[in-house]
Amino acid sequence: MTEQMDIVQENPAAPDPVVPAMASAGVTNSLRAIWAIAMYTLREGLRKKTLIGFLILSILVIFGTSFITAFLNQKTIGDATQDIEIKLIKDICVTTISIFGVLITIFTSASVVPGEVENRVIYTVLSKPLRRFQYLLGKFIGAQFIILLNLALMGGLFFLVLWVKQGVPATLLLWSLLLTYFEFLIVSAFTFAISCTATSAVLPTIGGLFIYITGNMTEYLRDVSNRAGQTTLLIDQWIGNIALWLSRILPNLTDFSLKNQILHLQPNDLPRDVQIPNLIAYSLMYVIAGYCIAYWIFRRKEF
Amino acid sequence: MSVVIEINKLTKVYEGRLKTQDVHALTELDLAINRGEIFGYLGPNGSGKTTTIKMLLGIIFPTSGSIKVMGQSDIGRYEVRRNIGYLPEGAYYPDFLKGEEVLRFYGQLYGLAGKELERRISEVLEKVGMMRARKRLIKGYSKGMRQRIGLAQAMISDPQILILDEPTTGLDPIARKEIRDILVRLRDEGKTLLISSHELLEVELISDRIGILYEGVMQTQGTLGELLTDRDTAVQVSGLSAQAIASLKEAGVLIEDLVEGRALLRVTPAMSLYDILDRCRALNLSIVSVAPHRETLEELFVRVIGAATGK
Repeated sequence: MTEQMDIVQENPAAPDPVVPAMASAGVTNSLRAIWAIAMYTLREGLRKKTLIGFLILSILVIFGTSFITAFLNQKTIGDATQDIEIKLIKDICVTTISIFGVLITIFTSASVVPGEVENRVIYTVLSKPLRRFQYLLGKFIGAQFIILLNLALMGGLFFLVLWVKQGVPATLLLWSLLLTYFEFLIVSAFTFAISCTATSAVLPTIGGLFIYITGNMTEYLRDVSNRAGQTTLLIDQWIGNIALWLSRILPNLTDFSLKNQILHLQPNDLPRDVQIPNLIAYSLMYVIAGYCIAYWIFRRKEF
Repeated sequence: MSVVIEINKLTKVYEGRLKTQDVHALTELDLAINRGEIFGYLGPNGSGKTTTIKMLLGIIFPTSGSIKVMGQSDIGRYEVRRNIGYLPEGAYYPDFLKGEEVLRFYGQLYGLAGKELERRISEVLEKVGMMRARKRLIKGYSKGMRQRIGLAQAMISDPQILILDEPTTGLDPIARKEIRDILVRLRDEGKTLLISSHELLEVELISDRIGILYEGVMQTQGTLGELLTDRDTAVQVSGLSAQAIASLKEAGVLIEDLVEGRALLRVTPAMSLYDILDRCRALNLSIVSVAPHRETLEELFVRVIGAATGK
């Protein structure tokens, strides 16, 4: 034992015979630790009552839409075509996935780090041979697993409902779900970054909602900026500048929505007028920025 | 004897919004912990014990001063961290995991995997006596069992250094004894243990050296033999009357544990033992025993903190 200790002291990089599996310390160990944190985050997230509640509600809405439209068909719409019924189902389901999906995204991303600070698991985790960027990466990936799983469940059910109603697999919906995920990814990254400054999930939740709402209003912000430039009032100039500044730095999330195409195109059409690779790259750029901000905040944070 | 933890002039100031609101949690702490010893780190609440531990683990950062663990200044290095096991005070482990799953998770953070990980899990479960409960959910664990799982997660990588924050607090006497036995066994295996605790008796029973911290300043440190004085003499007497008590107090004798005329008289070196014994005989007291009185850790603690506070 003495010899072993001396080896470590003289040459700390020398392999420690006590833990042979650690001899190949480096990338493999690092990835293993990140994966362990991600899987732990996923398991923990799947047990959160709020998220389960949102998921059940959304599934009930998607599933229940078929019954509602059937009722409308008989009593209210009368001779309206099946096309209207399908459009109604699509409209409700796409909206449901957007609303519940973003709520799940925000609540998950807002709570994965503050939750560990609150229950003090972070002390035992950060005391392990793990750099803080690895910890954050594990938590972020774990949050993405939760978001993806929820989106897959909601989207999968919607896909099945449409398939049954239309008799054709709605591939356009799959493209829409892909873009919806990348939209959520942006919201998640920024919510996650805000959560690294907080000790509870409240502030990041508000921040996440702000990002989502303003991200869907960037056109409106540009319009406000243009209108404000037409007056000479100082307050208008200020508002205009703030609106312009926000519209420039905030992500434009409206481009990620294929709702109109889902409503009006054939279920197996390809998306039109949308550069999917560009949108994915745009999303990833914001995600990298969000993660860098998160790490910059977290790297010297004290607990 | 090699030093595994070396702390020099370590200072931590938690900055407030105003300079006047700054909290000096730790002031120029010097500490050296040797390999294979149990170091009892003592102090009242808010004295800076947990702050020291958190800095050792890289959870918070020093304002000034230096820390070396196993000769390394970069305590975030993999080679250093893998040799440190930590049990925080009141540690939480997710209820939805089984005992062995908790250990699997923490083992993976050390880069352990496969058969090696499973072997380590079995080894540490065996050491803490939790083999039979390994497949039970944490939810069903008693406080003592949770603490043992906490100890097991701290030992999962077979670290050379174990840092334990209040390892026996809140446990019943049997669980305390069991944890204490585990800690002594670890020391005997050559591990170095830094134990922060309020349980003075526990610390006294197992520590090789102790340090007493108060308001961020190390008040005293050393072996128990060095610090605990045995200068006083304890004279056990019976047949004490009110008159005898008054007479003994007049002579400056400290009377302890007075029950139905029986008491322990503490005679300090400043007094003459023979004079006190003569006085007892004159007061017709029965002398049951005369023995040197060794100070307890609790008495030392009270004395040191009393001196620091000026009370």
